[in-house]
Parts: sequence; C-alpha cells; structure tokens
Amino acid sequence: MVSKHIMIIPELSQIWSRLLKLLPGRSAPPVSPRVVFERFQKVLASNNQALEIIADLGEKLGGDYLFDMRYVESSVEELIAAVHGSVLAVNELCGDRHARLHQVHERLSEDLRLTLAGREDREGPLIFTLDEIRPRNWALVGGKAAHLAVMRHDPQLRVPDGFVITARAYNDLIDHNGLRQQLTAFEELMSATEPEADLLEQQRSLIEQAVLAAAPPPGLLDALAQAAGRLPQTGKPLFLAVRSSAQEEDMDFSFAGQFTSVLNVPAQPDALFAAAREVMASLFCAGAVAYRRRVFPDEGKMAIAVVCQRMVDSRSSGIVFSVDTMQLAHDTMVVVAAWGQGEAVVEGGTATDTFQLHKGPPLRIAARQVADKEQGLFAGAESGLTSRAIAKELRAASCLSDDELLQLGSAALHLETLFKRPQDIEWAFDSSGQLYILQARPLVLNTPAREKALPVRVEQHEVICAGQGKVAQQGIAAGPVHIVNFAEETGEFPEGSVLVTHHDSSRLVTYIQRAAGVITETGTPVSHMATICREFQVPCLVNVGSILGKVREGELITVDAEDRRIYRGLVDELLVYRATSCINLMSSREFRLLRRILKKVSELHLVDPMMQDFSIDGCRTCHDILRFSHESAVQEMVNLGRDERRLIKGNIVRPMKLPIPTGILVIDIGGGLASDAPERDVPFQAIASVPFRAVLQGMLFPEIWHNNPMPVGIRDLMNSMFSPIREEAAEQYSGHNIAIIGGNYVNLCFRLGYHYNIIDAHCGEAEQNNHLYYRFLGGVTDMTKRSRRAAMIAQILKEFEFNVQTKGDLVTARLSRLPQREAERALDILGRLVGYTRQLDVRMESDNDPGKYAEAFLNGEYRV
Amino acid sequence: MHSIMIIDDERIVGDMAKLSLSQEGYDVESFLDGESALKRLKEKSFAVVVTDLKMKGVDGLEVLRNVKQLYPATAVIMITAFANLDVAIEALRDDVFDFFPKPVKIKDLKASVKRAVEGRKI
Repeated sequence: MVSKHIMIIPELSQIWSRLLKLLPGRSAPPVSPRVVFERFQKVLASNNQALEIIADLGEKLGGDYLFDMRYVESSVEELIAAVHGSVLAVNELCGDRHARLHQVHERLSEDLRLTLAGREDREGPLIFTLDEIRPRNWALVGGKAAHLAVMRHDPQLRVPDGFVITARAYNDLIDHNGLRQQLTAFEELMSATEPEADLLEQQRSLIEQAVLAAAPPPGLLDALAQAAGRLPQTGKPLFLAVRSSAQEEDMDFSFAGQFTSVLNVPAQPDALFAAAREVMASLFCAGAVAYRRRVFPDEGKMAIAVVCQRMVDSRSSGIVFSVDTMQLAHDTMVVVAAWGQGEAVVEGGTATDTFQLHKGPPLRIAARQVADKEQGLFAGAESGLTSRAIAKELRAASCLSDDELLQLGSAALHLETLFKRPQDIEWAFDSSGQLYILQARPLVLNTPAREKALPVRVEQHEVICAGQGKVAQQGIAAGPVHIVNFAEETGEFPEGSVLVTHHDSSRLVTYIQRAAGVITETGTPVSHMATICREFQVPCLVNVGSILGKVREGELITVDAEDRRIYRGLVDELLVYRATSCINLMSSREFRLLRRILKKVSELHLVDPMMQDFSIDGCRTCHDILRFSHESAVQEMVNLGRDERRLIKGNIVRPMKLPIPTGILVIDIGGGLASDAPERDVPFQAIASVPFRAVLQGMLFPEIWHNNPMPVGIRDLMNSMFSPIREEAAEQYSGHNIAIIGGNYVNLCFRLGYHYNIIDAHCGEAEQNNHLYYRFLGGVTDMTKRSRRAAMIAQILKEFEFNVQTKGDLVTARLSRLPQREAERALDILGRLVGYTRQLDVRMESDNDPGKYAEAFLNGEYRV
Repeated sequence: MHSIMIIDDERIVGDMAKLSLSQEGYDVESFLDGESALKRLKEKSFAVVVTDLKMKGVDGLEVLRNVKQLYPATAVIMITAFANLDVAIEALRDDVFDFFPKPVKIKDLKASVKRAVEGRKI
C-alpha cells in the first residue's frame, strides 16, 4: 500500500542507484532493512540446522541408539553443507567481509573427511617440533606428544624441548618396506572376536621382527638431522629420550609401560632412527598387543608416533598422582621419588621415597616415608642407562627437599587445572635443582567395588597376611595361586588364578588380563603395573612384603584388596560380585571415531565475543565457525539503525504516540505492527513486536520517565559544548529515535538529548536464536561523570547476568540463548534503564554515586 | 528363553543390539551377512529376526522372504539407513512386523521385540 509518507519515487531511486554504481569508489546502494533482516534470518536458519546435526551426533554417544558408520559419514557431509550455508549467508549479510571463513571451513571439512576415512595419520609432515604442534595434529603426533605440546606453551611449566617423528613417518616406513599387506592382515586378526592364539602370536612376532629390521623411509634421516640440529646447543653433547606417543596413548588409556622407551640416545640421525624403530616395533610387542586386545577388543588399527626430547640429567625423579588412589582422597596427592632416572620408579623393583601432600589450600606436606635406596638408574656416558649404587650418605636421605616437594605439588595442582582431570605426572629435578615435567596423563581412577557384604568377622578362614602393603586396585579376588618368576618364564598363565610375584613389572600385562587378582611383594601403587591393574580393574595389592614363602602354587586364596587381607581358601562372604566380561562398546572403533569427530566438530573455543581470540583465526571447529557467524550477523544488525537519514528516506516511517515526552519513529520490516496500526500516532497497543513491546513496557513503567528534565548546571552545559565530542557520536546525537521492528526483532536507536543507546534484540520461542545487545554512549557532562554513569549501568546489568564491557563512557552488554520469558524481562529492564539514566550523569558528583544509584534502581526506587 | 537373530553388515550394530537385547533376557545371535544367517535359520528357529535392509549379497528382503517361508510365525523387524518409501510398501506387503530407520532408538527396538515375542504366545 502506497502511503503519502513515502518520500521517494521508486524510478528515481533506481536511476540514482545506477548512477552511483558508475561513480568510482562508490559502494552499491544500501539494502532495505527488510532484506537485511531476511539475510539475518538465513544465517540463523543455517546455524540451527548445523547445530541440530551436531546435537544429533552427540546424542549417539550416549549408547541409546543403534548407529552405523554410514550414519556418521552422511551426518558429517550434511553438517559440512550446513556450515557452508552459514558461511555463505553471513557473507551475503556482511558484504563478504568474512570471506576468509570459507578457507577455514574448507580446511576443517578436509580434516573431517580424512578422519572418517581413517587417513588422518597418512598426510602431514614427517617431523613436528613440540612447539609447532596444535590440537588438530593429535592423530599425527599421538596423545603423549599432544599433552607435552600443551604443557610447552604453559609458562608455568618447564618441559624439555624436542620433536616428534609422526605417525605419517611410521606409515611411510610400513609402505617403504613393503609391510602394508602384512600389517593389514595382522590388524584384521587383532579385530577378530576370537582369533586363533597361535596364529596371532606368530603374525605378531613376524611383524615385530620386520619393523625392527626396517629401512628408513625417504626423507626421514634428513629430517631427523635437521630437527636435532635445530635444538639449541648447550656446549655439551646432546642426548635425547626417545619415547612412544601412540594415537590412543595418554588419552583414556595409559598403555603404561607397554611401549619401549630408549633413553640417552645420541642426537645423530642413525642412532635416533634405530631408537625410533625400536619404539615403533614395540607397538607389536606381546604386552602391547595383549593390552590393545583388552581395551580395544575389535580395533586392530593403531598407529604410533615417537617423541624425542632432550635428556634431563636427573638428580631425582619420579611420579606424582594428583589424587591419592589408595584412599581415593581428592584432597591428598602422592609423590614417589628415587635418585636418578624415573624408570626406577615406574618399573618397580627399587626402594623409593613416598610423600603425601595435602592440597589445602594451603598446600602442605602431610607425610614422608623415606626408604633405604641402594640403587639408582643414571644416564651412561655413551648411551643408555646404567644402574649404580647410591652413595652411602644419600641412601637414607630424602630425594626431595621440602621446598622441592612444595614446588612439585604446585605444578601438579596447576596441571590438574590445566587438563581439568586428576593427573599422573612424571617429573625430574636436574643437578641444578630445576624441575622438569616429563609427562602428564589422565589418572586412572576407579570407584570402589559397589557391593560388598562386609563381614564383621571371618573366623573360619586363616588369615595369611593382614594390613600389609598398599592397594593399587580395590576389589575382591579369589582363585588358585599362580606364582610368576621371571627367571623361569613359562608363558602360560592359568585363567582366573591369583598372580603372586616379587616384582611389580609392567611385563606382567599379558598375565594380568587373565588374572583374578595380583599380589606383589615389592612395588608402589604408582607403577606401570599398578596402573594397568586399575585400568583392567583387577584387584591388586602391592608391597605386601614376604608372601611367596607363605602360599603354595595352586592353592585357593581370597584377596580382600580393600581391607588388605589375604585369606587361605575361598571366603564365600566376600565373593559378592562376579566379573562381567561384556563387550565394552564405548571403546569400540565406531564410538572412538564418533568421539574424535565430535571433538573436531562441537568443541567451542570462541566463547566470549568480547575477547580478542574471537576471530576467524580462532575458529578451530564447526561450532566455532557457527558462533562467529552468529555474532557477526548480530553485529551487522546492530549497525542497521546507524544511518537514520537513509532509513527515513528509504522506508515507511510511522511516528508513535506515547505517554512519555519522547518521539519514536517505527519502521516495520514484517510482523512488528498490528495489521490495523495507523499511519501515524501509533499507540503502544499496536506494537506486535515481542521485544519492542518489552522495551516499551520498561520505558513506560511508572516513575521511570519524569516530566521534568534533571537540573543541568551551567558548568555541565559548558563542559559539553566545549569538550570534543567524538565524530561518530556527533552525527548520531542529533536526530530521531528509530525503531526497526519485526515480529521477533527490534533494533532501537535512541538519541536522548546528549546520549545514545542502541538496543538490538531477537526474542521469540526458539531459545537458541534469542539475543540481546545493548550499547550506551555519551552524556552531557565531563568524562569523569560520564564514566561514572557507565559504571552504574554496568553494575545494574551485571545483576541481570549480562556480559558487560565498559571503556570510559561506553558500555556494551550482551545476553544470548535465553528463553523468551527471561529475554522479555531483560528487555523490560533495559527499557527502564534507558529512562532512568537519562540525565543522571550530571548527578554523578562522587565515586560513590554509581553504587548509590545502581542500588536505588535495583530496589525499584526510580524516582531520583 | 526366546531367541533373537540380528543381521547387519556393520559389526557395531550387531554388537550393540546383542548387548542390549541380552540384558532383557533374550538369547541373541548376530550375523554379518544374509547367507550365514539363512544357513543358521535352517538349523534353528528364532522368535524374532532383526535385519538390516540393504546388505551385499543376500539382502533384507530376501531374508524376509526366506523367514516367512520357513517360519511363518517368526516376526521380522527391518532396520535400515535408507528410509525408502517404495521399499517400505513392498516390505509391508510381505508382512514385516516393524520397520525402523537408522539410527534406531534401542528403547524402541526393545519394545518392538517384546511385542513381537508376546504376539507369538497367543
């Protein structure tokens, strides 16, 4: 319907636009608010579609659905398309200002497709330095290296520098030596439900030997020379620790002690390659294969990377568990230490010092147990480690001073916060007293056995051993004793036996998975073997002292690895649970793949739009792109009301009639007004826009809008006339108040005398689409008073959970993703605030005033 | 104890179905392809057969036809990633007990199997 209020003739406007396009440097003619709003809706629609797919994928992880790989693959493709739609839409809205989002999206999509195809570890560099590694490189560098890289970037932690030989290099080695077919056959055998044991062992041994004899793939030796050469030289010959970083290592599973580490390797390409080859071959050692079959029963494929780091000349080293696994006490941490290299601690067999620290705060030492330490492992002069006797005066001395203990404890607390989980940490102090963190991984914790009928007395059974040793894994175990003596290895472990041995070596893993329980005479609860017992949930007591002489091979015993009692015979009262051997689906290949996909898709890094890393470069996942897209779209809408002259010229503008002395011009882009709304004098009742109604309600609240303006002193007025007002603000200070409204949308630019408010809001039933944006600038008086008013506004808005930022006299506040009711309430508050603060800055005489007036507002005392 | 057969060429589906249906007290056997499933059917009857529709070689429809021939009282439940209307009609004509597009909510599958099993008692 053509109204006499249209101030432009359509044909002239077209001619004008064409003329404008011909003039150099002129941008395209402005688009109407309605079209802009439609483009904004397109962004919202694509975003919602993509977010639904992400939520759908995530739901499948719960285990309530039967899904297959086809579903995952097709969902990922749909998601890629939806995110592409969002990137297109936001660029259409914002004049292609964010064109670079396309490149980010393409890169992420390629990565997702590679992940789905299981090929993430085939492409990429042969070597990464630790400092180059980013979270998206996980599949190429493995869990251990990924964690080391994160710690390297943390200024509070000291981590030895180094580089990673990637899974790509491992795959190249396999291909270059013609082992691909053999490997694939072995991996398939690994995934079989019940492979023939002899065949599996034969193939395992063959491929292990083949890798140990493999030639280096092209380019690797040069790359090693380069990488070693780039490490800062210290004047002394450079030696490196060469360790495994398998894809799943140090993620949910520790693989504690299963892979080979080669320590103190001279930093020459041949030596490094030989060591790395040993590490890669250990992927196929009997222990690792047994471990993999236990925790990944149907997944044969796993690649391995190799971390090479500068050797630390350890004076003392060991482990910290940031949670005491023996008592399952989250307020205590355990430190175990030995002289020399940490292998002595994790491989068991030597005496160690144990300390408990209370986390507090404040962090303090709660207990110390210093042992008589006869031996230690130290770096040899040529290569490798040698065992040396400890000097007499150091044997009974504590490996750590109190200061060092507390320093270590602080580092452990920091790591817990960094990785958001309890940590299993390997550390070393060098000869100059510097603390190095060598490894950090999630600590395996298990809740105690749920059901246990605790008998008060179990009298008819002889107690072989009571109160001795430490609990590595809680639970009840019962079965025939099987003594393991590594000197006379037989290789056969009768299933369901209780393993009894002297040393707690990680070589026991093949037996542990068939054992009902484990008892060792020496050892600590922080050793590799103990970690494996916890992961496999096999009840385990370590360091019980002499027991080998007290039990006979084959006799039945019951182990209570909670109360630390070992009984002769089967104690029925204690046997209340049965080990379940069901398929652990959550670690199946499909679930793990889905988790990896979701990590790349839904982890949100762009959290706060006010922060600096909220940028295209900060986008690491699909969710980040969607978030950036949404915020950019909102920003674009906020600026909609800027050029009021253009708005008034180009659109149907209807003046409102309100019971407050302020004029508002309304532009309806669809659904904002009732169908019978008049052309002028539009009353409040004719407003259909949900958010605009809410704001008006606030503005019209009794006592908010006085009829009398605040008394402005001559000084204040002089101040405003002679102080330089910012240009951008100046052009908006004069002129009309314009509200661009839709059914669920409002963009309100309010120029009240000397200050300037913008309210931009989307408010409807779809919670995920709702957002509120408020900007306030200006005032009639000097900067100090204006800043005080800004402080008052900030204080009030924070009470209503807005995300607020102030800078001088500029206040920006946002709220998003809230239900309609709450959004309307918040808009009402904004409306009241706009009226309340009209000329309050002239009142802001002292620093106490912001608080005073904020309190008054929050208490509903609107009359100043 | 009632016997349930699951046929799907993706192992994860069979494993998950087996785990959840065993929890309900059923005796469950899973197969990765139609041929081996049909071979087993010649040896033993099942109360319910849950099968994927699209598989290489012997597909879900062929399984359905064979089951109906050998054991008219056995209920066949079809699960498929391809929610194809024409196939659905053809399947209904051949008397499929229930039809689920993938991903299948396990709760719904359990309820359907329960109904199928109870239907047999009559």
